[in-house]
Amino acid sequence: MLKVDIQSAPPVVTLACSGRLVLGLEVETLRSIATSRPEPQLRLDLSRVHGIDAAGLGLLVELNHWAQQRAACFTVANPSSEAYRLLALTGLDRVLHLSGVTMGAGTHNESAAWRIMTA
Amino acid sequence: MALEHQALSREFVLTGSVAALAPGRDAIMNFVREYCGDEQQEIDIMLALQEALANAIFHGCGGDAGKLVHCTVEISPSTIEFIVRDPGTGFDSADPTDMADDGTNLTEHGRGIHLMRSLMDEVTYSRKGTELHLKKLRANVGKKPAPQ
Repeated sequence: MLKVDIQSAPPVVTLACSGRLVLGLEVETLRSIATSRPEPQLRLDLSRVHGIDAAGLGLLVELNHWAQQRAACFTVANPSSEAYRLLALTGLDRVLHLSGVTMGAGTHNESAAWRIMTA
Repeated sequence: MALEHQALSREFVLTGSVAALAPGRDAIMNFVREYCGDEQQEIDIMLALQEALANAIFHGCGGDAGKLVHCTVEISPSTIEFIVRDPGTGFDSADPTDMADDGTNLTEHGRGIHLMRSLMDEVTYSRKGTELHLKKLRANVGKKPAPQ
């Protein structure tokens, strides 16, 4: 199961994910949400993600390509220790733009509007 | 020999449809969980199993619910092993992946086998790539005593 909290604070949108980013509804839902956002800066908060499989890692690469094609910015923020371990195992820690690697759980912007979607 | 002193073995059968992946993975993990040494080992096994079953369903069955994936789990005092068999035509597991020499992969696919090899202690293919063997050494702090 994957829960995605959408925090829009133009020009930035933060998608805060909780659960597993794995093949199936989880990956499809996040792809759909991320690629439908109009903001030019997409930030994926993985502080509460405790499992990512190859499909999930592939989606991160796909979103990175998608953002580059639109001259947008894609950042993977606050990856949990498990998420970071998998990014490092696959070399994606050197490819993707990461932020807050040592910060642990991310922080919420109270002024932003939140929506919750669940896969 | 008493049952508790023997290696445990159980076979799971999944239909070859994408919908069977998560329930199948969870059923297998429900059986394996108590033999995992710790949470980290459980996560490693879950992710590797996810990759193995996904490959068997997508590539071995083509997502066809009329085909079957067999997964045998064997738990011994020292290891947890999985044998995943699919009805496909197989593949050349010696083929290079999309991984570059420096270990990076800039494509959106091709990480599954690399991930399994990183998470498990042994990953081998047989029967022309239609049978996958995964082995994880058990940690010493298992929640349940190992079969002897």
